[in-house]
Amino acid sequence: MRHKVKAPFRRWMYVVLFLTASVLVLSGCADSKETTGAEGEGKLKITTTTGMIADVAANIGGAYVDVTGLMGSGVDPHLYKATQGDIRKLDDADIIFFNGLHLEGKMTEMFDKMAEKKTVVAVSEQLPESALRTDGSGVHDPHIWFNVRNWISAAEVIRDTLMEQDPEHADAYRTQAEAYLAELEQLDTYVSEQIASIPEADRVLVTAHDAFGYFGDAYGIQVMGLQGISTASEYGSKDVANLRDYLVDNKIKAVFVESSVPKKSIEAVIEGAAKLGHEVKIGGELFSDALGPSGTEEGTYIGMVRHNVDTIAAALK
Amino acid sequence: MTDFWIILTGSLVATCCSILGCFLILRRMALIGDAISHSVLPGIVIAFMVSGSRDSFIMLLGASVLGLVTVFLIQLFQQSGVQSDASIGVVFTALFAVGVVLVSLNLRQVDLDLDCVLYGEIAHVHWNTWTLGGTDMGPKAVWLLGFTLLVIVTLVSLFYKQFKLCAFDPLLAAAVGIPVALFHYLLMGLVSMATVSSFESVGAILVVGMLIIPASAAYLLTDRLGLMIVISVAIGIASTVLGYAAAYVLDASIAGCMVCAAAVLFILAFLLSPTHGLVARKLWRRMNQQSL
Repeated sequence: MRHKVKAPFRRWMYVVLFLTASVLVLSGCADSKETTGAEGEGKLKITTTTGMIADVAANIGGAYVDVTGLMGSGVDPHLYKATQGDIRKLDDADIIFFNGLHLEGKMTEMFDKMAEKKTVVAVSEQLPESALRTDGSGVHDPHIWFNVRNWISAAEVIRDTLMEQDPEHADAYRTQAEAYLAELEQLDTYVSEQIASIPEADRVLVTAHDAFGYFGDAYGIQVMGLQGISTASEYGSKDVANLRDYLVDNKIKAVFVESSVPKKSIEAVIEGAAKLGHEVKIGGELFSDALGPSGTEEGTYIGMVRHNVDTIAAALK
Repeated sequence: MTDFWIILTGSLVATCCSILGCFLILRRMALIGDAISHSVLPGIVIAFMVSGSRDSFIMLLGASVLGLVTVFLIQLFQQSGVQSDASIGVVFTALFAVGVVLVSLNLRQVDLDLDCVLYGEIAHVHWNTWTLGGTDMGPKAVWLLGFTLLVIVTLVSLFYKQFKLCAFDPLLAAAVGIPVALFHYLLMGLVSMATVSSFESVGAILVVGMLIIPASAAYLLTDRLGLMIVISVAIGIASTVLGYAAAYVLDASIAGCMVCAAAVLFILAFLLSPTHGLVARKLWRRMNQQSL
């Protein structure tokens, strides 16, 4: 039947289709040219991957820098998807800070390449091998910010980079960094004290994924996770059962959920424990791979660590 | 320049995929791209277990081997009488599951998922440049995909008649003495090469989309294979450009926008196709009634 459609009609349709396509093509090209705008003139433009790094850079840089974070609040770095605007944020940046240790996945290789052309710095670069957690196959745990001492090293890397790139304001950076580092020192003491106030037998932190390894090592609390380091790896039914038995045997009072990881996995463990007659409560929500919403207390690195340690101490005491 | 490289990379992916997509659609194997995107997992896991590194070249190597294993198994099962959709389904779920088991057995502490170590991001292609003897040769992805496209165009144009006959009427092809199995394996090999190298450069969604959507739209617009390939490529490239413009306006994921643009063009083809389209059929019916 359809062969009866008249040939000129068919040809006409093609012409229309291709004209529309080519008009759209041309408008698309014209559109994408005007990408450079003039905003924040004179300030050092800094782009960071995670919000934790952006917060430190903003504190040390103060009024002389313009900081943009690629991964917003509540975004799991393992699941970050780049948008078109992110290209400009990276292209326009004078300095780019990233976490390193493969937290950014395949982007790490890109940063290594970019480092040949502009200032691209991994904030973890000054950490000695001994400060890093390593698994059997020689791969490092990237969640370094949970040990405040590591983050002090990261802040020093940021300070030194800023002073080097913008010598004119080096003194300001040094003073602001001094003040911020003092706050981090206080924070470190605060975390140690809070954890020390939990009875020793109860110092067990149970969460959905293994982000808190550095926290556990640094402050003497045992960390148990259901998932592996990556939020994308699967957990087995045996993991759930093992963790459940551990909770029951050791009479653990509370487990914790994380802002950037779904709650379902940890709820399965709680249900399992309830069936064996041991009640476990959810001790609260911890911020692990991302900061809280900006403008709130948890939207800063210091606020986030305080929130975490307060929540843990309150639930386990 | 950034925009140029991204559109060029997208167009190369679109061209590779839309050419092969036409043959896959005719053979009812359009979902093979999706299958390969999953079944390469054991490849990267084994590559990591052997090498202990997450370097992109090693990951690409592991993925390529598994890509070839996947299409080989699919073709083998299909030739032995398993239906083509079923053989795709069986092979990719089984291989993906092997990968999940391997990760859970050995590598629980390593961040080793496809998104993280294999799939590239089209937004980042222009920074991943290739340096040869000190000179900057432009994005690695453009070279890799350009080479892939060259191989595809060369083989498809050299053996166009054979590929065409095998896709439409394998029995006739066998009767006139064409080694049908060989050409099936050759096509599958090209698909595997195109998808794996594109995954490495631009990620999964763009590849899977470009393998199916432009070819399906072209299928609605013509009954001739040669023209279908030309239209398919044109739609693929148009989606790349349109999608990039949309991503710019919306500040959204570039690959996502490109595939959405392809879907919009598909809907246009579906409505406006001169032979199979809704509008054309309505018009034709009315014209017929008038002539009566």
